[in-house]
Amino acid sequence: MTAKLWAIVRREYLERVRTKGFVIGTILGPLVLAALMLGPILAIRSGSKPLRVSVLDRTGALGPRVEDALRAARFDGRPRFDVLPTEPEPALKKAVLEGRLDGYLELPADAVERGTASYFGRNVSNRLDLNTMERAVSEVIVGVRVATAGLDPRKVKDLTKELDLKTIRLSESGEREDKGAALMLAIILLMILYTSMLIWGQMVMTSVIEEKTSRVVEVIASGVPATTLLGGKLLGVGAAGLTQFLVWSLCLLAASSAPAALLTFRMPEITPLVLASFVLFFLLGFLFYAALYAAIGAAVNTVQEAQNFVWVVMTPIILGMVSFSAAIEAPDGPLSVTMSMIPGISPLIMFLRIVVLTPPVWQIALSIALLALAIVFVLWASARVYRVGILMYGKRPTFPEIVKWIRHA
Amino acid sequence: MNEKAIVLRGIGKAFSGHVAVKDLSLEVPRGSVFGLLGPNGAGKTTTLRMVMDILAPDTGTIEILGRPADHASRDRIGYMPEERGLYPRMVLEEQLVFMAAIKGMARTDAQARLGPWLQRLGLADWRRRKVNELSKGMQQKAQFVATVLHEPEVLIMDEPMSGLDPVGMDDMREAMLELRRRGATIVLSSHQMEAVERLCDRVALIDRGEKVLDGSVAEVKSRHGKNTVALAFDGDGSFLQSLPGVAKCTDFGQYVEVRLHDGADPQALLQRAAERLRIRRFEIVEPSLHDIFVETVTGNGEEAE
Repeated sequence: MTAKLWAIVRREYLERVRTKGFVIGTILGPLVLAALMLGPILAIRSGSKPLRVSVLDRTGALGPRVEDALRAARFDGRPRFDVLPTEPEPALKKAVLEGRLDGYLELPADAVERGTASYFGRNVSNRLDLNTMERAVSEVIVGVRVATAGLDPRKVKDLTKELDLKTIRLSESGEREDKGAALMLAIILLMILYTSMLIWGQMVMTSVIEEKTSRVVEVIASGVPATTLLGGKLLGVGAAGLTQFLVWSLCLLAASSAPAALLTFRMPEITPLVLASFVLFFLLGFLFYAALYAAIGAAVNTVQEAQNFVWVVMTPIILGMVSFSAAIEAPDGPLSVTMSMIPGISPLIMFLRIVVLTPPVWQIALSIALLALAIVFVLWASARVYRVGILMYGKRPTFPEIVKWIRHA
Repeated sequence: MNEKAIVLRGIGKAFSGHVAVKDLSLEVPRGSVFGLLGPNGAGKTTTLRMVMDILAPDTGTIEILGRPADHASRDRIGYMPEERGLYPRMVLEEQLVFMAAIKGMARTDAQARLGPWLQRLGLADWRRRKVNELSKGMQQKAQFVATVLHEPEVLIMDEPMSGLDPVGMDDMREAMLELRRRGATIVLSSHQMEAVERLCDRVALIDRGEKVLDGSVAEVKSRHGKNTVALAFDGDGSFLQSLPGVAKCTDFGQYVEVRLHDGADPQALLQRAAERLRIRRFEIVEPSLHDIFVETVTGNGEEAE
């Protein structure tokens, strides 16, 4: 019997891994993520030219100081603004539209009092540059206000220096400074966990439906019991999912050993505990949802029909995603603890809690035990639906009918 | 050595309110070609699925090759369902090796046995192609290889001739006979009795889930007597119907088949007919399984009227 199970695992695994989608997703996934994170920084780094800007001053006093401030503004150690002499507004507009100028900054007459200014440019979505500009101009305006009040701007600046709260995460593996990276990491890992559980689970469903459509399932069912077929499918597809994670982890490992100069931020440390719980909760969550998806696939004839039952899967997942901000704010609160115990929701919330703040071991153990119990139950019920459903063609069964299959199969 | 390949004892199966198979008992001797015949919806497919454990019988027991049916004994059966199917995007060779593997054959053994079969059926050049690149006829052949590659001792084929063109039917028949020569037991179901009656040496006729009759073909036919006459003639033969001793007269255009009452003398019929017609052929023939079936199911045919 193990030889047969192995044959099915092998077939499912190879069929997933050999598709173009898998290859593209596995290789392109990390590339896209890296591009999104590093792209803007690298674009400026790689020597994009400073912006050519002019200052249109209506205050009659601020102009030169703002121009100086812009010339002095630095991003990543390099000047970002090339200040051109001012002209009347129509001429500036024309220059921008003709591309001789990137944009101009208008200081209204009451710029100091109301603290407003406007930037006109063809491109206004370059957040990094505009933030730099905002800081520079704002410093000038605040300086003028302070001086008008008869104070020493430098002294005021020292006095009003804002609190720089450093967060240091304490854990068994020692203390380390955390610049919000842990939170980012938690959210990114959670998103990956969430999407991959759904994607790989859905793949099981599609594969069940395809076996029904191509009528191959009866031949298979004459060789192996439905439970073996279902089990082999889950293991094979799950292994393909793990393969993808393995490739991604290797990419991450390679990235973190890349020359530090390329990274503007510290790679958040992925502790062995986080990695282990990611893999564990992916597998458990996948088994839970894939078994549900397999039952849906066995009960219906087409992917379209399956949409009618997808709520069975989506309800716990959505509950999990809704309670995720609560889990970040209060990982030890009653809501988080409850959610991290409910099977189906627990892979998401318990994993998040482990990343943000390591919960007591008994809670982790209880959560896993409950989830494992639920998986056994779902597998049992799915196998029954599967056994009846794979030979049913024609009318789509109603939900009560499926419950009947489970009880009487 | 046990003499029976498959024994069914009182098996029954009902689906939400409707009875598909009722108290069915059958014995398939080893080495025979056994025909499970009956109209559509008679319960043939349900019966075969119960033998293969795709459906669980509500009642009764099943023995395969001399012992109660279990997973191991079912591995010794090759099953070709009526709804045939292969994985469309799988390479033919891998597909067939996989099919043998889920029947318990080691991959290397399956690979070794694959070549000769592909050669015989003209699929050798397609070995590394995907199944959806094969023509319909080639897919049928591939399906057959998938059924027999693990060298089953019993072959169960549900409607093996359906969807085949005449050439395909010939190929299928030859392949079955070849397996039979090697000692395999073959069970096939069909609703087209003419197509399979010459292949089978034993048959069971079932209707609405119940066995109507079974036995060797010769036995079944002799039980129904040698009282069918084939008659070819020139002239108007419509009066034959009203001759004494005639139970039923079936007109085939070229000739008529006359079914006589038990005890009626065919020679008397010949004399009467010769008085009014030019007889070109006169032959006492065996009744076809189809006629026997219709007669049995409708309560001994027109005699009841």
